[in-house]
Amino acid sequence: MRNAYIANQKSAHGRKALAVLPIHYPKELLTALDILAVELWGPPGPPRGPDAGRVQTYVCSIVRNALAFMAAGGADAADGVLFPHTCDSIQGLATVAPDMGGWTKPAFTFQHPKGSSRPSARTFVAAELRSLAEELAAFAGRSLEPERLWAALRLHREIDRLRAELLDGRTRLPMTDPELYRLLRRGEFLWPEEHLAELRTARDALGDDAAQSGVPVMITGYVPEPLSLLEALNDAGAYVCGDDYAAVGRRVQRALLGTAGDPLAELSRQYFLASPCSTRSADQSARLRYLTDLFDRSGARGVIVHVLKFCEPELFDIPAIRRTFAARKVPVLVVEGELEPEISGQLVTRLEAFVELLGQTRRAA
Amino acid sequence: MITRRRLEYELVKHVVGPATLRFDTLRGELKRRKKKPRPDSPFGPPLEAAHKLKELMSLHYLAGRYADGAVPVAWVTSGFPVEFLRPFGFHAVYPENHAALCSAQKQVPELASAAEAEGYATDLCSYARCDLGSAFTGKTPVGRLPKPDLLCCCTNICQTLLYWYRALATHFNVPLVLIDPPFVYGKAKPHHHQYILDQMEELLAEAARVSRKQVSLAELVEVMHLAREGTALWGECLDASRNRPAPWTGFDGFVHIGPIVALRGTKECNAYYRLLRDELHDRVKKGIGGIKNERHRLMWDNLPIWYGLRELSTLLAERGFNFVCTSYTNAWAEGGALVDPSQPMASMARAYSHVLLNQDLKNRLSVLERLARTYEVEGAVLHSDRSCKPYSVGQIDLKDRLQKALGIRVLLFEADHADPRAYAKEPAENRLTAFLESFA
Repeated sequence: MRNAYIANQKSAHGRKALAVLPIHYPKELLTALDILAVELWGPPGPPRGPDAGRVQTYVCSIVRNALAFMAAGGADAADGVLFPHTCDSIQGLATVAPDMGGWTKPAFTFQHPKGSSRPSARTFVAAELRSLAEELAAFAGRSLEPERLWAALRLHREIDRLRAELLDGRTRLPMTDPELYRLLRRGEFLWPEEHLAELRTARDALGDDAAQSGVPVMITGYVPEPLSLLEALNDAGAYVCGDDYAAVGRRVQRALLGTAGDPLAELSRQYFLASPCSTRSADQSARLRYLTDLFDRSGARGVIVHVLKFCEPELFDIPAIRRTFAARKVPVLVVEGELEPEISGQLVTRLEAFVELLGQTRRAA
Repeated sequence: MITRRRLEYELVKHVVGPATLRFDTLRGELKRRKKKPRPDSPFGPPLEAAHKLKELMSLHYLAGRYADGAVPVAWVTSGFPVEFLRPFGFHAVYPENHAALCSAQKQVPELASAAEAEGYATDLCSYARCDLGSAFTGKTPVGRLPKPDLLCCCTNICQTLLYWYRALATHFNVPLVLIDPPFVYGKAKPHHHQYILDQMEELLAEAARVSRKQVSLAELVEVMHLAREGTALWGECLDASRNRPAPWTGFDGFVHIGPIVALRGTKECNAYYRLLRDELHDRVKKGIGGIKNERHRLMWDNLPIWYGLRELSTLLAERGFNFVCTSYTNAWAEGGALVDPSQPMASMARAYSHVLLNQDLKNRLSVLERLARTYEVEGAVLHSDRSCKPYSVGQIDLKDRLQKALGIRVLLFEADHADPRAYAKEPAENRLTAFLESFA
C-alpha cells in the first residue's frame, strides 16, 4: 500500500521520498523541501529475506527487520534514507546498510545530541540542522525557502495540536484503541496535509460525553506493535487514556511556536522543548515528572510499560518508572515485545489479570 | 591545610601502600621459587612485569579506598579524555575496569543480580549491571570504591555508558559531565568537531568547580605529553608481537591494558610500560614466546571474555595458537598519535572522536585488515559480545569481508564480556575447537 502511495506522490507531485528510521528527526525540513517522509519502524513481523541474519539476534528487532527489509528491496520506492542518532544499534545500522550492503541510494544522518540541553548541545543542534538542510536541499533539488519552512512548522504544529486533542480527549472519542492508533500512525507516511485532514475528521467525532467505559490505563513504550496488544487490552475491558509511546504521544510537540525570525533557529528551539525521551538521554527526573503529570492528567488507574526487547534506552528507564509509580501505589505492568505479528496467549492473560486488578482498585490519589 | 583524610590518602598512596604491596610481591616471589614450574604448561615463562602490574593496579585501588574526602574523585568512562582531569587532582575510578576485575574474579553473577533485582534487565550491558549492583550493595573485590564527586562520561564507545552513568548520578546524587562525540561516518564535519570542543570547555569549567581549583593550559599540556607517550609505549609493547614467536599472548595484553585505561597521563603508567616493553624486547631477543609452541597466529576482535581468559588461553595454547593481536588492545595505542600538545584542544577533540567504535565499518574493516597483515595472522575470532552492541553490530559482514579480502579463516564466537550466565561454555568451546582443527 505504501509503495503505491509513494509512487503516486512522486508521479502526481514530483516529490522525492525518504525512508526514515526511528525516532526524532526534523520532519518540518522534509516537508518544506517537498520530501515525503516514510518512517521505517521495522517493519513488524519476522525479518524477511536473506539478509535477516546479518545482525545478531540480541539486537532489537527494529534494526534487524529494517536491514532485512532494505536489503530485500522493501524500501526501494524511497529515494534515500535518513538515520537519526537514536541508539547504538541504529547508529550501527547507518553504517552496516550503506557500507556493507543493503542500501545503495543516498543515506543521511541526523546526529542529535545526548544529555541535557547544555549550551554546547544547543549550538550543535542548530549547526546539525543547517547541515542536514543543505544536504536535503541538494537531495531534493530545491533550495530551502524560509517561508516554506515557516509554513511547514505551522502545519506540523497544527497536526500536533490535533493529535494532542485526540489523545487528551480519549475518553470522549468513540474509537477503539486500534482504530485510534492506526489513524495516528498514518502520519508516519502520509503527506502531512492529508494526515491533517484525517485528524480533523476524527476530531469532529469528539463528543462532550464519555465514549469509553472501560478501565483507563496509561501506556509508555517504544512503538505500539503489534496492535493486537491494544485489541487485547480493549477486549479485557481497558483503554489507553494516556500515551507515551515514542512513536506516538511522546512525539507530539505541545510547545508554542514562535512567529518570526530564522525558521531554522525556531526548529532548533522546538527540539529542546520536546517531551522527554530516553533516546535523547534526557534528564531522567524530567521524564518521570512528565510521566506522572501525564498519569495525573489522564485519569489512568495503572501503567503499562511496553518495551521492545534489547532496547537499551527504554530498558534503563524501567527501574525508575517502577519505583516512581510504586511510591504512588500505582500498579505497573511491564511487557516486552519483539515486533511479533501477534501477542502470545500468555500476554493476553497477563493483560486480562492486570485490567481485572485495576478494576478492583480505586485510583491512587 | 591538609586534612586527616588527605594525610591518610597520601600516606597510603606514597608510603604504606607501595611498601605493603612490595612486601606482598617479594613474599609471592619466594613462594614461586619454591614451586616447581609445570613442565606440561603450554605457556612460556610468565612475564616478570606482571608482578609490577599487580602492584600498580592494587595500589590504585588501595589508594582509592582513602580518596573520597581527601581529593576530588571522578568516576570515568574508559574513552573519556581523562587528561583534562589529572591536573585538577582528581582520583579517577574506572567502573569498566572494575567490572572487568569483578568478572575475572567471578563476582559478576552476584553483583549483576543485585541490579537485576532493582529492575535492570538482563539484556543490558553486563558491565553496567555489575557496577550498578556494586554501587547498590557496596560489594566489591577491591575492598571499597570511593564515592564520586563527579561522573565523567564520554559516549565515543557507546551510549549505554550515558544511561548507566545517569543511573549512577541519581544513586550518588552527584553531577554528571558528558562528552558526546558525534559518530564519524566517513569524515567528521567541522561543526561536529566544534561540538566536542565546546563540551571540553564545559568539562573544564565543571572540573574546576568541583575540584575548586584552576588549572593552566601548560598543566594540561604536560599531562597530554604523558598520555601521548603512554599510548606510544603501549603501542610498542603490542608491536613486539609482530615477531615470531610473539613474546606474549593477546590474553596477556588484555590484562596488561589496565594502566593505559586507568592511569593514562601519569608517570607511573609510562614507567610501567617502559618496563614491560623492555622485557618483551628481551624475550624477543632470546626467542621466548608467550606460548611454548607457536604454530598459528590469530587475531581477536571485540572485548575479552574476562571470566574465561584462563580456560580459553589454555585451550588455544595447548594447540599451538596465539592471539598475537586484538583490535581492543590496539585501540588504546592508536588514539595517542592523534594528540598534538601544540594544538591541545583541537587535537584532543579529534583523538577522542576518532576512536575505533566511533567510526564507521569501513574504518573498522581497514583496521582489522591492517592488523591481520601487520601481525601476519592466519585466522581471526570475532567475539560477538551480547553486552556490546556497538562493537558487535556489523561483525557478520566484517567476517565475510575479512575472509574474502585476506583469505583467512574467521570465526564468529558468541559470548558476553563479563557475565558468565550469558555464555554457553561447552558449545562455545566445541565451536572454537572445531575452528582450530580446521587449521590442521
